[in-house]
Amino acid sequence: MKKHKIEDIFSSMEDFSSVPPPELWSQIEEKLDKPKKKKRVVLWWSAAACLLLGLLLPSILHFTASPENIKINNGGLENSNNSVVLDKKTNDNSNNRNLDQNKNIGKTADSLNHNSTRKNQFSTESGIPVQETSVAETNSKNGTNKKDSKYSTPTPANVPNQSVAFQNYSSYEDKSIAKSSSKSILGNNNSKASNKGITEERIAFGKQTKFNSAPKKQLSNSIFDEQLTVKNNKNLAFNSVNSSVNKSSSANTNAYNSNASIARKNENIRTDKAVIIKDDLKLNNSLSKTDSVQLAELQNLEKGILAPEKQKEEEEKKNNLIDKKERWAVAVFAGVASSENTKNEKTLGNVNDSKQSNSFGVKTKYSINKKWAVGSGLKINELGQSVANVSYLTAKSNAFFAPDSYPVASSNAPAQDYLLISNSTKEALKSENVQTGKLDQNLRYIEMPLEVSYSIFNKNKASINLNTGGFVGKLISNNVNLDGHSIGENMNANDYVYGSTLSSTVQYRVYKKTNVFVEPAMNYYINPLNSQSFNQFQWGLNFGLNVSF
Amino acid sequence: MKNDREGQLKIYQLFSPVLYGICLKYMKNEDDAKDVFQEAFVIAFQKISQYKFEGSFEGWLKRIFINKLIETLNKKKKESFFLDVFDPDTDFVEEEELEAIPIEQEKLLEYIRDLPDQYRTVFNLYVFEKMKHREIAELLKISEGTSKSNLNRAKHILQKRILSIKNFKTA
Repeated sequence: MKKHKIEDIFSSMEDFSSVPPPELWSQIEEKLDKPKKKKRVVLWWSAAACLLLGLLLPSILHFTASPENIKINNGGLENSNNSVVLDKKTNDNSNNRNLDQNKNIGKTADSLNHNSTRKNQFSTESGIPVQETSVAETNSKNGTNKKDSKYSTPTPANVPNQSVAFQNYSSYEDKSIAKSSSKSILGNNNSKASNKGITEERIAFGKQTKFNSAPKKQLSNSIFDEQLTVKNNKNLAFNSVNSSVNKSSSANTNAYNSNASIARKNENIRTDKAVIIKDDLKLNNSLSKTDSVQLAELQNLEKGILAPEKQKEEEEKKNNLIDKKERWAVAVFAGVASSENTKNEKTLGNVNDSKQSNSFGVKTKYSINKKWAVGSGLKINELGQSVANVSYLTAKSNAFFAPDSYPVASSNAPAQDYLLISNSTKEALKSENVQTGKLDQNLRYIEMPLEVSYSIFNKNKASINLNTGGFVGKLISNNVNLDGHSIGENMNANDYVYGSTLSSTVQYRVYKKTNVFVEPAMNYYINPLNSQSFNQFQWGLNFGLNVSF
Repeated sequence: MKNDREGQLKIYQLFSPVLYGICLKYMKNEDDAKDVFQEAFVIAFQKISQYKFEGSFEGWLKRIFINKLIETLNKKKKESFFLDVFDPDTDFVEEEELEAIPIEQEKLLEYIRDLPDQYRTVFNLYVFEKMKHREIAELLKISEGTSKSNLNRAKHILQKRILSIKNFKTA
């Protein structure tokens, strides 16, 4: 007797098949309906989570920063090398700019006396009475200064400013289409086959109501049905419906079979298709309604299976068209941002608290390919900080109106002049006239980002992009408020800023070429001020609408 | 949607016997095989758009099913069940050539399913899917040695079962 290896004995199991219990299909159907809902729910939850996170984060950071602030204030003297020089708003803005540009004078002021001198210089130079707010701060490390100067010794400080920030950027990724083709591999119970898409060997379909229960070779041999009689390989076989059931339509059956035979002879799929369609058109007249429907289904099915290559080409063409058509995208957006100071730097001895602001703008994006895109735009953004418990003297009640003092008038409160002093100076003054208030500083910019965007996820209608780049900003508004009253501008603010940005865009297509997006972002401003600390790091969350074309 | 479902049903009708057969070969009991069968079909239909007409559709479906089967087997035994390391001294089994006895497929299926999970998986992949040990090792995240060891042990067990039939028949 012939000897066999164990593999040979089990070789018959290679194509083992067994008909699954009938209830399994209905269970699969149930499962197929569920996931889509889940996906949508997940998407909405993700969007909601992003929104919530974006809104909560600034608040969390704000509250976590507050205790430090209190602690520092209670701690009394603080080391600080910040100097804030506020330039008072005057009717003539050019005068302010003139003052601002005279940085040498402002920065090198070593004492209030010097400042007084400077004041005179300004008056002489500009010909306009100079009203200046100056904050002189004692460097508490310098004990000599503290002792020598009753007020303060302004020390120009070159404080390394740090911040990180969100930059918002919308990204758009073209979506490839192509879904339908592969889904329509098989259409109905009528005979339908492909020698390309599904199996390499012939697959012949008959009207199949039951699966083969016998564990015979099925797929590999491409025999699926008890009705099959045609066994030609590498050919299409359009078998008719069950002839025993549909004997009355024998003419139709014959017609189908002739169709099948034509198809069988032709190896070229496209030719097959043409012939089939042509013949089917002829047959349509003689077919019953049912047959017509079945034939139409066959044709549809055939489109899905027989011409995958053609379909692929079409898909590619379509994709290319989309790429060409939808390379550009324009978005409008608005959002909230919160400026932070990650280094806990201080102004006037107090911690710079976060400050929330709004931002808005437009941007455009150009898709280089499916993954990469570049973008730019214009954005109005505000960088700010709050300094709580800032000590100051007002001129109205200031008992120190000595010639060498340094009172400054405010345009908003003309009757009052302000002298902001640091914590350490406050200790030195020990005056009852020293008041405390909240100092708010806002710098508003018009920014132009330049970003690159990479698509990390793009499926169906949703996409997620990572964006990074840099931006240049022009100062358009500079305001300092003390307890809600504007007292001037920050002289150290740079007219032009630059920084870096990192963001992520979660986008969902709501209608044709229109998308909505949520965009958590962070921005880092490298040089908002010349020589003092300022919140340079900005979190942001933008919401927007994006249209591609 | 309706058309999609009809298409899905057609695919199911065409391929389910073979795919269900695979599930039966990989899973020890029928309930587990049914579960994996359902889940794998759902995955296949969800990912059908990813089929790029490269290779046969049946092959694409089989890959999905086998991946799902292996994933399920791995989950079933939280600890890796491919811990065995090939020991050439003990694991090398001289393959005995057996007389060709006609054995029913049901019986052969029973023998396969009686194998321990780890042996059965490697045996199926090697013998039926024609995978090489390197590919099996990569798929199962085991060493090639372990793959060889598991295959040898599987063969050894099956050999014994076949011989027992032979002895039973001759007796």
